[in-house]
Amino acid sequence: MSGSRIVAVARRIAQGFRRDERTLALMFVVPIAITALLGWVLRGEQSATVNVVVVNDAGAAGQRIVDALISATTGAPDGIEVVAQADTRGAAEGAMRDDRASIALVIPASLLTDVMAGQRPVLTVITGGTDPGADAQRMGAVQGLVATMATEIGGISGAPVVIPEVVHETVFLSPDADSLDVLAPVFLGYFAYFFVFLLTGISFLRERVGGTLERLLATPVTRGEIVTGYSLGFGIFATIQVVVLTLFVLARIDVPSLGPIPAFTIGLDVASAGSPLLAFLLTMVLSLGAVSLGIFLSTFARTELQIIQFIPLVIIPQGLLGGIFWPVDQLPDVLQAVARVLPMTYAVDGLREVMLKGADLGSAVVQTDLAVLAGIAVLFVVLAAGTIKREVA
Amino acid sequence: MSASAAAVEAEGLSKTFGSIRAVDGVDLSLQPGFIYGLLGPNGSGKTTLIRLLAGLARPTSGEARILGTRMPSRPMLGRIGYMPQAEALYPELSVGENLGFFARLEGAFSRDAVDRVLELVELGDRRGTPVMHLSGGMRRRLSLACTLVHEPPILFLDEPTVGVDPALRVQFWAHFRRLSAAGVTILVASHVIDEADRCDELLFMRSGKVIAQGTPEELRAGAATTNLEAAFLHFAGLDAEGRPLVPAP
Repeated sequence: MSGSRIVAVARRIAQGFRRDERTLALMFVVPIAITALLGWVLRGEQSATVNVVVVNDAGAAGQRIVDALISATTGAPDGIEVVAQADTRGAAEGAMRDDRASIALVIPASLLTDVMAGQRPVLTVITGGTDPGADAQRMGAVQGLVATMATEIGGISGAPVVIPEVVHETVFLSPDADSLDVLAPVFLGYFAYFFVFLLTGISFLRERVGGTLERLLATPVTRGEIVTGYSLGFGIFATIQVVVLTLFVLARIDVPSLGPIPAFTIGLDVASAGSPLLAFLLTMVLSLGAVSLGIFLSTFARTELQIIQFIPLVIIPQGLLGGIFWPVDQLPDVLQAVARVLPMTYAVDGLREVMLKGADLGSAVVQTDLAVLAGIAVLFVVLAAGTIKREVA
Repeated sequence: MSASAAAVEAEGLSKTFGSIRAVDGVDLSLQPGFIYGLLGPNGSGKTTLIRLLAGLARPTSGEARILGTRMPSRPMLGRIGYMPQAEALYPELSVGENLGFFARLEGAFSRDAVDRVLELVELGDRRGTPVMHLSGGMRRRLSLACTLVHEPPILFLDEPTVGVDPALRVQFWAHFRRLSAAGVTILVASHVIDEADRCDELLFMRSGKVIAQGTPEELRAGAATTNLEAAFLHFAGLDAEGRPLVPAP
């Protein structure tokens, strides 16, 4: 071991760093910026009021309870407010589908008879089911209403106060759905976007620095043909990737025990309501935008390392703001505005709509998401073609 | 199309990068079926001049014409073969795949065309070898094959024999001669003086300007020397101790 040679190696690295201001900046600026963004998302999260729609099946007695609940929760003093009353359970679920309410409370017809008989009445609470974490919070918020109801029931019946039993049901998926059921479908889009961007960026950077791009431009090929060809080529691989990932997420293959190898399961067996084909279409349109984005950003990199450095700028913010972990409409207002221009936001929205709520191509939400994603893809195709410098189009 | 008979023409062709005049008012006229040598030291503007003539760069002033068509012109690119100084090949693709790719972009793919140029550069037995496993000389040969596969009537070759061993260099030149006999116009940039004598005509280039043009004999006679290197120094206005054309090995 020679100390001076070790120092020479270390000095060489420091000298290289000094010339690569961008890497240096990224090492210090990016972690701070990303952490700050995360803090902004978490601290600035707007807590949404839980809007309740009540279905009364218990006649006049039930109506007294409904009125008491409305007067107790007006202005949402505890973050929960009864905003509407529906005649039927179906109407209540309709209100939830339209986002007018996030939870429904069904007062059973047998309310008074149960109380008189000394039995606990059964209240049905219906949540959306597409976000188990948020649903758990909403179920917690409902406890206050249940206490109010118990007091009210005692006043009506004259019987001792009994706390009603709460049964949880959901509009979409099953009440037993876990976070994976909700996250896995959108991860399809996120991973496809990430890898397609990375592979295209590196591949096109090689064309630029390796001289093959200039050589291509010495043939009659057009810039549009190059970008379209790239989209097709990487599109094929994105297709295979998405198909395999979709199968893994949705499937469940039980492999029996074989000799010393214990039985195991392949696939996540995620519950899905919608058409995998439509989810696939959304992911493909998203990925086409990633191809062009990779070509576009390869202009601003000189080395493959610098392409990788785009990940914290391109991929991570889309993960934080795109609605994967936190609903976009609960972000601080400024970040909501940012999220509205990110393709991931529309892909996540569309994938949830399809995979969790079973929306089809007729759904206005899915149509909008597809249109916006296609628009973003076209925009970046134009930008990417613009970065391929040639004197003749 | 003008009625001009010249294959390649330039009038007052100039290209500046910032304050650097890489190509400075070049006029030339290259006749079909001749081999022209573009000689000059590194940084004299040879590559930029070729890029302007081939329509890969737009001149700051002046104009370049190929077969009477003003460049840059995308359709004309199909009638030009351009061999860049650095091999522009895909290292992970095989010899045949690289050649097939460029042939398809030129719209000239056929199995025959590919076989023919592969035999020509003696890479017929290497068709399936990935380019990353080829020697430097083999890559030059493949690069030349990619340039020739669509049988262009005009060739721009930027230092085609760099890193090519003497025996292969002789073969390259024998082939250039066959092409020119078939009517192909060739412009070869080089800083290797002993290749210059193989050209029909030479253009000496220095600081972006063509400082002399003529057959090797004419240039020697004009400089009253038997040595092309001395002739270059003469036309460049340098004495025998001036900047050497070829750096000492």
